[in-house]
Amino acid sequence: MTTTVPETLATTRTGSPGRRRGVRRPAGLPWILPALLFSAGLLYYCIGYTGYISTLDWDGAAPIQQQVGAENFVRMVQDPVFWGALRNTAIFFVVTFSVQVALGIVFASLLHSRLWFKTFYKVLIFIPVVLATATAAPVFRQIYAPDGALNELLGAVGLAGLQQTWLANGAFALAIVITVQIWHSTGVVFVLYYAAIGQIEPEVVEAARIDGAGDLRILVSIVWPGVRGTTIAIAILSAIGSLKTFDVPFLITSGGPSYATEFLGTMIYRVSVAFSDVGYGAALSVVLLLLALVAAIIINVGGRRGER
Amino acid sequence: MFETRRLRSRIGLQLLLSVLVLPFVFPLIAMVRGSLAGAGWGNYATVLSLPLLPGFFVNSALLSAAVIAIVLVCTLTAAFGFSKLHVPGKEIFFWMLLACLTLPGVVLLAPLFATITRIGAYNTLWAVILPVAALQVPFTVLLARNFVDGIPDALMESARVDGANVVRTFWHILLPLTRPIMAAVVVLVFINSWNEFLLPLLFLQTPDQQTVTLVPQFFVGMYNNDQTKVLAAAVLTGLPVVIAYVCLQRYFERGLAAGALK
Repeated sequence: MTTTVPETLATTRTGSPGRRRGVRRPAGLPWILPALLFSAGLLYYCIGYTGYISTLDWDGAAPIQQQVGAENFVRMVQDPVFWGALRNTAIFFVVTFSVQVALGIVFASLLHSRLWFKTFYKVLIFIPVVLATATAAPVFRQIYAPDGALNELLGAVGLAGLQQTWLANGAFALAIVITVQIWHSTGVVFVLYYAAIGQIEPEVVEAARIDGAGDLRILVSIVWPGVRGTTIAIAILSAIGSLKTFDVPFLITSGGPSYATEFLGTMIYRVSVAFSDVGYGAALSVVLLLLALVAAIIINVGGRRGER
Repeated sequence: MFETRRLRSRIGLQLLLSVLVLPFVFPLIAMVRGSLAGAGWGNYATVLSLPLLPGFFVNSALLSAAVIAIVLVCTLTAAFGFSKLHVPGKEIFFWMLLACLTLPGVVLLAPLFATITRIGAYNTLWAVILPVAALQVPFTVLLARNFVDGIPDALMESARVDGANVVRTFWHILLPLTRPIMAAVVVLVFINSWNEFLLPLLFLQTPDQQTVTLVPQFFVGMYNNDQTKVLAAAVLTGLPVVIAYVCLQRYFERGLAAGALK
């Protein structure tokens, strides 16, 4: 990327007098070691180990581990469940990202306006974030159950014909998983936009208003470009979050019916734990990790280029 | 942000906000209502009278406390080192940590399982504490480093000129100044570790070792389909985090925002 020029600059810089950094800073390596050894150490050890296991045919417990090379990866490419999980992840990402960005910006702009009881609304939007999916899952299963709140509501308003066994239908099940995720994490997106919009100067908004811009115009022409950096950050968070998705589909649909809500996370769990096919699970993990890294890099680079 | 000078537009926006918030509140109401259906408060009495229940809460509290302690020590020392001290090649180390932010917990499943059973930590809290803490550290280091970067170097230098060594500078200058970010880290880590589901599910097998996120499943097994008891248990496990959030709301939002805006 760069030439050797910065290096020569660096040498002249340290040599030059009058730099504020005349006093050399004390050595800091021991200070960063606990975090590095513990966190990076443990995580990279696990990643390396996963990479090794991904070349094995192993049930996770038996002393016999058979080397199979890239066979697990070949199997993955031929596995329709794997491609289904990727498709679900893509749909999940596109829908949760778009809906949450729209809701997040609208909530943040509304709560930056002069309205009543703002803290109360903020708390309500954010409570789902702090509740564990495991805690919230029973109520969602109850709402969408055949004799649950949703069917009851439909019956009460005279739409009994629309009643469904919601979680038994693949398309509805995926929609429900997406809805629960949106419910669960819109609060995070809102808080990030709330902070970002707080940094837009009120004078700019005032000036636009004097020039005759309405609420919608201000949202599109001032707020949206003003929070661009945050939107990119949210895109990364939500792409990685979509790849990581586990709790919601596991607890609400267990990946079913017939793999309609299978994600890479639930698939790895099912393959490794229920089927004791740890080698295949590790191969899936390696791919998941690579996808997460690539997603973060693409969005980061793409977002930066767009800024110019 | 929006036009609120006329009362009519202000009421309109207030209505819009209320309608949009409704779907977020509805499941919460359904949860509390469901937990009171049938036997009413009796559901809570039944759940609370279970001798095993306090154990779940104690385990979650122990888990959270241990994770918070480990994460705080690693985070504060690392933030100080990365931000204010001389470390050759430190940006490489920093990016090594940041790359872990993309790491999904489920990827650790097989190696952790193999390692944990080998060292005999299976079905102990440590099997959950260590990986959960390791997964939190990259994000909290990012948060804390951004914060410490904002503390003027001159403060550290003047302490050194006055004869303080690095340890004293850390203890007497840096620590008192980092209280706001420490609070944010504590709240974030508390909620994440209290809510952790996958690792306890995998590594904690007996109810006396399990954490609160496994309570709903435990009750599904116990009460079969008595949803009211399951929901009452869910409300009870959710209460501590909601209370913690409502009380420490300011720190929580500030911490989250500080991390992502950089």
